[in-house]
Amino acid sequence: MLLEMESSGAAGKISVAKGTLNHCRERASPNAAVLCRTLSYSVVLCHYCAMRLTVNGSPRDVDPSRSPTLLAALRDQLELTGPKLGCDHGECGACTVRLDGDLVYACLTLTAACEQAQVQTVEGLAQGATLHPIQQAFITHDAAQCGYCTPGQLLAAAALLEGNPHPTDDEIRTAMSGNLCRCGTYPKIIAAIRALADAAGSAP
Amino acid sequence: MSERRARFVQTTVEVEGRTETRVVELPAFEPAAWTAETPLSIVGTSPSRVDAFEKVTGRARFTADIVRPGMLHAVIVRAPIAKGALTAIGLDAARTLPGVRAVMGPGDAPPTTRLFRRDVSYAGQPVAAVCAESLDAAERAAAAIAASLAFDLAPHAVTVEDAMAVDAPAVRSAGNATAPDVVERGDVTTALAQADMTITREYRTPVALHSALEPHGAVCEWNGDHLTVWESTQGIFRVRNDVAKALGVPQAKVRVLKDYMGGGFGAKNGAGAHTYAAALFSRMTGAPVRCINDRQAEQTDSGNRPATVQKVTLAARRDGTLTAIVLDALIPLGISGWEGGPAQVFHELYACPNVRTTETSVYINASGMQAFRGPGYVEGTFALEGAMNALARELHIDPVALRLKNLATRDQRANREFSGNRLDECYAEGMKRFGWSSTIHHLPSTIGRVKRGRGVAAQTWPTGGGPPSYASVRINSDGSVDVLAGTQDLGTGSRTILAQIAAEALGARLDTVRAVIGDTERLPYTGNSWGSMTTPSVGPAVRMAAEDARTQLLEAAAQMLGEPVESLTTHESQVLQSPAVRLPFSELCRRLGNVQILGRGSRGPNPQHLAIVTVGAQFAEVEVDTETGVVRVLRIVAVHDAGRIINPVLAESQLHGGIIQGLGYALFEERHIDRARGVPLNANLHDYKVPTIADIPAIDASFVGGADAAANHIGARGIAEPPIIPTAPAIAAAVADALGVEVREIPLTPWRVLDALCQ
Repeated sequence: MLLEMESSGAAGKISVAKGTLNHCRERASPNAAVLCRTLSYSVVLCHYCAMRLTVNGSPRDVDPSRSPTLLAALRDQLELTGPKLGCDHGECGACTVRLDGDLVYACLTLTAACEQAQVQTVEGLAQGATLHPIQQAFITHDAAQCGYCTPGQLLAAAALLEGNPHPTDDEIRTAMSGNLCRCGTYPKIIAAIRALADAAGSAP
Repeated sequence: MSERRARFVQTTVEVEGRTETRVVELPAFEPAAWTAETPLSIVGTSPSRVDAFEKVTGRARFTADIVRPGMLHAVIVRAPIAKGALTAIGLDAARTLPGVRAVMGPGDAPPTTRLFRRDVSYAGQPVAAVCAESLDAAERAAAAIAASLAFDLAPHAVTVEDAMAVDAPAVRSAGNATAPDVVERGDVTTALAQADMTITREYRTPVALHSALEPHGAVCEWNGDHLTVWESTQGIFRVRNDVAKALGVPQAKVRVLKDYMGGGFGAKNGAGAHTYAAALFSRMTGAPVRCINDRQAEQTDSGNRPATVQKVTLAARRDGTLTAIVLDALIPLGISGWEGGPAQVFHELYACPNVRTTETSVYINASGMQAFRGPGYVEGTFALEGAMNALARELHIDPVALRLKNLATRDQRANREFSGNRLDECYAEGMKRFGWSSTIHHLPSTIGRVKRGRGVAAQTWPTGGGPPSYASVRINSDGSVDVLAGTQDLGTGSRTILAQIAAEALGARLDTVRAVIGDTERLPYTGNSWGSMTTPSVGPAVRMAAEDARTQLLEAAAQMLGEPVESLTTHESQVLQSPAVRLPFSELCRRLGNVQILGRGSRGPNPQHLAIVTVGAQFAEVEVDTETGVVRVLRIVAVHDAGRIINPVLAESQLHGGIIQGLGYALFEERHIDRARGVPLNANLHDYKVPTIADIPAIDASFVGGADAAANHIGARGIAEPPIIPTAPAIAAAVADALGVEVREIPLTPWRVLDALCQ
């Protein structure tokens, strides 16, 4: 089992082209390894492999060795605390973000696998001072009680409506069933999504 | 002013079904009650939550989002056994691991914290903790400590049967069960002997876990001898007092802050192991320390609704009149917990001269219980209403008719009137909305594998709230208004409704009013947000503070305008005399400059001669697949009477939340502990099943409206807990109606349904 160690000067000299995980694994020295605790298997990276990704439209650099999961990278390195840690096991959906448009559980997503990716968090939903329609609909329909699951719910709802502007209630339930809410906002989440789906006019 | 001097009187307050006597301030003046006829323009409307913007933009800061300069991370190591003595623990090795700053084990925490004992009496009990520069480093050190643990195992009991067995292992040295708590009115023995008929049923309810999406957590930071605690809690003042007592520091040296929290449901009423660990590590290291439960700890050792075994006997005349109600209940509390189980509702929901309840609390080697939304009443109502539905079937009486026949018209325990109780209207409105046929129920269909059924259940819950609760209303020099009250918003909407109450009383525009809550150091005292108490406790104090501020504002305006104060009024943040004279608050306050209007309010005592309850009825329709045993709830109709509803949309959300949690309790939720090893098997959100959006039925939730001016001067009672109470028994009744067979143990999992069908 490999454990993270303090990087030495030698590790810093390793020249690694930014690239795939395999690339890093082949060239990394033994003291440039990190244990991915969440998934219980090892991922070996260059310790200084600062990695670029695009978060909410802006280029950002993160160090994947400090934050094995995308959720930790977003929260701890980029101070984007909208995505929440609820279970750390992909069970609750509070950490939901979009990765190249797809919905992912950030707690189960390896930071190292996100190089050059486009990441959207709840902080990136609004356009400046203008709320995204789903944010406004959540306010109008009281679809947030405590608000802890809300960032994940919003991204899941936005992704649903982008792919399917006129979902049926069954499609809404299926698409949103990966995001738990313990306060019981489900009827109002459905109402908020329903309102946008209906407002979008008849399907082409 | 001399007329505002208060005196102190003794009063009683019901908290989570327990009655407490307190000496409280009697305000020398209280505003005239807002009755059902009082014209109100902001209270009773549904503006959006005042904090909705923060919640939908990710700006709302929860405890785990708090970052302090140089902050360290703490992780608690928990026992993997149910009972035994710790014989080895490798703390020294953990101290040398990278990033570790401090470690605590047995003997290292003050005994008052009850942390890190060598004698383990449940799986998940804290035995050590580690503090490191990153969460990763802390988790690795915690894993190293966990791997080093060795125990002398002792026999355990994690079921009520094992704990009550003749040769049961000693769970607690003082005995595994409490003396039975018997409460009786009338003469049950004679009533049973003379009854036309009796039925007896045994019901079983599971251990349910609160499962708030935000786990318990705290950030602690010492500054000299002053400690600041950010905590996800329903009771900032109680956390302050717990921490002060456990650490031996004055209350005045502890400041507790709570801005946003991700649900509580009763489990977050005080400080916990995470709070003490963070505070102690912070004192040791001189750095701020964050300690947040992981999900496994949250589902293992942060509270639960205890299981029950309830034997119920009902005696009745042929016409359905109840003549006796008997309950014998066993309640396995866990290793600790307060008594106050299912019995109370048996004395309250129905008019019956002869009632006897016997509760025996049993200790088992499992984490202790905590209040969970409607504690005791949820469990008790499942059994009582199950038995009432069984009685209705036996007597061929419509279950609603049976309930109306036995409606409680007064509080029989204290022999007093209700301040208001419109349960009969809840039934009538619910029947109408549901389309309940008033005839005796149909026989189960014999055609097809999927059967439909309908059921009903009712609830009562003490929701008077009470003192002490204080609030201030400050009018700022720009005419904006701050409501200052040391309360909490769990997600219920208290920030919003307190702002509405203040705006209404002050004649201010709601968008100029801000509710400032969640700070023990700078805000007036209010109690915990438990027992559906916040609205009826804090609401009147806020109204009184706003009325006081309004009086001062009008006096100042009268001086400025040279008009008699009686001729002035306020509306939409303006002082008005006639259409011609309008003085906006902003202009008035600008002219006042630094002369500040500060209104003060407190919650007066409850009317001792009245019982204050929220009641309601829920109707369920289900589909049961008789081949798979799967129950699907198609719709729920809920009608409750909670007096005045401050914000109907937010109150509806509270009903939805209670109903959906009640549905989870009825169908899915059950903590499993391995009987042989005594450890939890489903301490996560994958195997402990809370409802998803795909599980919920159509829900029609409403209130009968009106106002309860006898309860308090805002006319509102509590609403948070009542809606969870009748959902499970209504669903179980619908399943029994569908199948013609009662399933008396929840959750109604497919195998339990199939098992009942095979009987």
